Amino acid sequence: MGEQVPQSPISVVVDPPMIITSTNPQEPVIVAAKEAASDSILSRLHAGYFRICLSFGAQVLLWKTLNEHVNETNSIHNIFHTRSFPSTAFFLLYWLSLCTLILLSFLYILRCIFYFRLVKAEFLHRVGVNCLFLPWISWLLLLQAIPLRKQSKNFPCQMLWWIFVVPVVILDIKIYGQWFTTEKRFLSMVANPTSQLSVMGNLVGAWAAARMGWKESGVCIFSLGLAHYLVVFITLYQRLSGASRFPAALRPAFFLFVAAPSTASLAWSSISGSFGVPCKMLFFLSLFLFTSLICRPSLFKKSMKRFNTAWWTYSFPLTFLALASAEYSREVTGVVASGLMLILSALSVLVFLGVLIVTAANTDTLLRENDACLSLAGTKTTNN
Amino acid sequence: MAAVSGLTYCFQERCLLDDVYKYCFHLLEYMHPRITTLISGFLQLVSCFETRKLTSARYRVQEEGSSEALPSLIKAITANEVAGFDSVEEHHDLNRRFKSTLVHPLSTSIFGIEAAAMENENDLSKPQRTHSVSISMPPSPVAAHLQNTNRVLFRDEETVLGNDNPISAATVSLQTKQAKFYSQPMPKGCALNEAITSGTFPNLPVRNPRIDKLKDKRFDSFKTWSGRLERQLSNLRGKHREESEQEPQPQRRAEFENLPVDRYFDALEGPELDTLRASEEILLPEDKKWPFLLRFPISSFGICLGVSSQAIMWKALASSASTKFLHVSPDINLVLWLISIALVLIVAIIYALKVIFYFEAVRREYYHPIRVNFFFAPWIALLFLALGVPPSVSQTLHASLWYILMTPIFCLELKIYGQWMSGGQRRLSKVANPSNHLSVVGNFVGALLGATMGLKEGPIFFFAVGLAHYTVLFVTLYQRLPTNETLPKELHPVFFLFVAAPSVASMAWARIQGSFDYGSRIAYFIALFLYFSLAVRVNFFRGFRFSLAWWAYTFPMTGAAIATIRYADVATSTVSKTLTIVLCIVATLIVSALLVTTIIHAFVLGDLFPNDIAIAISKRRPKTTRRWYNRRSGSSDTKVEEYLKYSNSDSKDIEGSTNSSDRQEMPVSLHKKVERHHPTTFQNRENLMCFCEVFTTRIKGGALCSPESSWELDF
Repeated sequence: MGEQVPQSPISVVVDPPMIITSTNPQEPVIVAAKEAASDSILSRLHAGYFRICLSFGAQVLLWKTLNEHVNETNSIHNIFHTRSFPSTAFFLLYWLSLCTLILLSFLYILRCIFYFRLVKAEFLHRVGVNCLFLPWISWLLLLQAIPLRKQSKNFPCQMLWWIFVVPVVILDIKIYGQWFTTEKRFLSMVANPTSQLSVMGNLVGAWAAARMGWKESGVCIFSLGLAHYLVVFITLYQRLSGASRFPAALRPAFFLFVAAPSTASLAWSSISGSFGVPCKMLFFLSLFLFTSLICRPSLFKKSMKRFNTAWWTYSFPLTFLALASAEYSREVTGVVASGLMLILSALSVLVFLGVLIVTAANTDTLLRENDACLSLAGTKTTNN
Repeated sequence: MAAVSGLTYCFQERCLLDDVYKYCFHLLEYMHPRITTLISGFLQLVSCFETRKLTSARYRVQEEGSSEALPSLIKAITANEVAGFDSVEEHHDLNRRFKSTLVHPLSTSIFGIEAAAMENENDLSKPQRTHSVSISMPPSPVAAHLQNTNRVLFRDEETVLGNDNPISAATVSLQTKQAKFYSQPMPKGCALNEAITSGTFPNLPVRNPRIDKLKDKRFDSFKTWSGRLERQLSNLRGKHREESEQEPQPQRRAEFENLPVDRYFDALEGPELDTLRASEEILLPEDKKWPFLLRFPISSFGICLGVSSQAIMWKALASSASTKFLHVSPDINLVLWLISIALVLIVAIIYALKVIFYFEAVRREYYHPIRVNFFFAPWIALLFLALGVPPSVSQTLHASLWYILMTPIFCLELKIYGQWMSGGQRRLSKVANPSNHLSVVGNFVGALLGATMGLKEGPIFFFAVGLAHYTVLFVTLYQRLPTNETLPKELHPVFFLFVAAPSVASMAWARIQGSFDYGSRIAYFIALFLYFSLAVRVNFFRGFRFSLAWWAYTFPMTGAAIATIRYADVATSTVSKTLTIVLCIVATLIVSALLVTTIIHAFVLGDLFPNDIAIAISKRRPKTTRRWYNRRSGSSDTKVEEYLKYSNSDSKDIEGSTNSSDRQEMPVSLHKKVERHHPTTFQNRENLMCFCEVFTTRIKGGALCSPESSWELDF
């Protein structure tokens, strides 16, 4: 099976600059491309597509939070003179995201059944493995966003939480263990911005647990996540092996720098019960990193040339930041905090809509053509 | 030597505005009497007639030069180089009154000689001909290229004075092969110096001021306007200068653009990356003092840091409950604060002048991987001033002051941290250095000031950003990654910056939280541990060249002392009080010792502001002499500036380049040969090096391959 992987249809090269190694013989790749064109959608649907669900889930949560915010404080009411956000839109969004998530999950399960070797290849890839956290984060987000009036310790929710968190923890144990035991996969070798997704899995899990009232489990997963976040953050800042190995098409993943501290801030505020100084610090860090990133548009120029699903990574970190700012403005009442929340929320919604429109316009390329990350996964396994 | 000393003297005058013209006239005025006295002994060697003739001819050259700058420049170089040859000969044979150096191209056709001679005739006009000196130095790059295959005969004949036909002279010399010599353009300053010492004076008193002006254009390349303004003005007035003069400028500018960080690592060494590696060359003349502004580094703001932190310390000593028993007068704080304000003002004004007049230099400092951290220093110094403001002056400061002060720090951080995270080659694993602490500590100082002023969210913002990046930096520095090129291998005062961030952070956190709680204590004890771990190694902090940047390394100690005062406020015990006193005394002593050292360096030794090599490294790496030569002989007249650079860099440079590994053996053997044959000719090492350079160039340049070129070096 392992021998077959190199010949897998995934090893299609979409864009010549995205080839990692030029040593690969070109002909098999082209042949593989032709095969892939006639291949089913399952072979091309990798875990990276769950970014869409994640963005949807984050949007849903943002709308929900804003709704609560309006009801609790009247800061937005004062500005907009609206009593509440249209709840129909929220429900629509929720069901839409739920359907998307269910559909994608179903397809991915099918992929696991029929193309297990591809899933395995994804698992062995240093970017792909982090994308495996995406479905679980999406589910956890949607779990939090359940539109119930009284959302607390109900049994099904807790069961669902366990179902979604256990895979995250298993993946954590596997990956974090590899970071310091497996020589090929030391953190200094495999660290890339998407590694923060693994951390985010923990943090979102902790957040959901805390919101359901399970403080201890929340703290447990939070500490696990935060410790590794520290390690990943430092390693990423050092850029040991260099960002050159990180393909330009995946550069939007730099926005995960923003997402991780925001999530941590949200999780800790849920755990501690208030948006205290540590939460503020994490939020401010995320704000600073966001400013730092949008000051460098040239970083993302290459990835903007051609649409791929990585663009969705622009959307959900911003939404997380907006969520954190909403929490912040709930704690710190003031024009600045509210203004910040409004700006960030508006920005997040706009980016979400923008990426949505672009995706809708590129539906043909979305699943018909092969994705950059996909080809990456293939090439990488070929190397191995 | 008199001329050189005069030159140095002139450059020692620290005029803030480097007026090139003024320097030139200074030089001329200064040199004229000295040289006349010095040369009086030698003067008899040259007839008065000859001198007068030369002088008049020179002035003619000068007139030409005024209409057409570049050729005259070349002429001057040529004359100087020729003079250098002359002097060598004179050393060799003092009783000869005149000598001739002749070009004799053996391997080229007679047409080559003719061409060279004609060119000589055209370009160099009369004085050279009367001297009968020929192309020991090419009048044009074309000729230099030609000379690759030329041989020059040094003749001990006095026949050719006033000879208008060099070809005949060459023929004569062909017959009497007394001294055969592989010739290359006589390199660099040693020739000039030699010329001066040996009394080839006619060049000097009549030196074309315009040439001097052009020579000093090297500094112009670092200037903000570099003559563009003047050009525009003259254009406005309707005077259009020739393009040839300005043509090198855009090229130079292109060289300044985006100097990659690797060049800094390649070209510089030392813990502060301020020493030039042996194999490197710089854009500015190494042998003379540059204009003061070019030598004024950004690290001078370190003085402000050191003094203003002292002001804060004395304020804390005077006002803290734990140090009441010392009865420190608040006047000390006031005095120190006033002094530091004055210092900040002075340094800021001077640096502002540098920004205005030498923006290129500032930009190069900004791209320097270590210096860039010192760009935080002015703002931190301002924060310190705001922190140390005496109660008698002002009790409260307006909140807007904090926002104003933090804005530049925020912008710089966006740039620097962004570079670490995603910007090109300046990744942290490469540029990490203890001086990066300066870029982090600004956050904590800002947070401290903001919290002291009663702000809430802003201080937390900066504290958070600072803490995150401090963690990254701390871990990276502790790891001592092999990719860290700038991390000093041995201990250096810069390591004291390790103490700065945690001690300031502990105070800032105490202010944010309202009490010196566990968070503050953790940070404080980390700082204390780092302080002691460095203090016990104090023995090793020796043998480093003093630099102004050291001032920046004193404020961490002061910061630790202040933090101890704060700690003693909450943990009142004898131990904490003793610690307070000890640390305060140490900080004060260190600062005063540094003050004394600075004064000594400034007024006794006069080397407080040495040439700032770090800003003058060239973009391209000099590979071999051959390349060096090719560049010189290279295609166009626009290279004159570069040419000047090479012809004037001093002996150290040559020595350095000769010492580089790929040219080790050859020069040594050549030395011996040369010394054996002509022990008197090569009086000093410089000369020797010049010749070796020439030989090496020859050999590397392909002379070895041509069959008719022989290895024997007959003179």
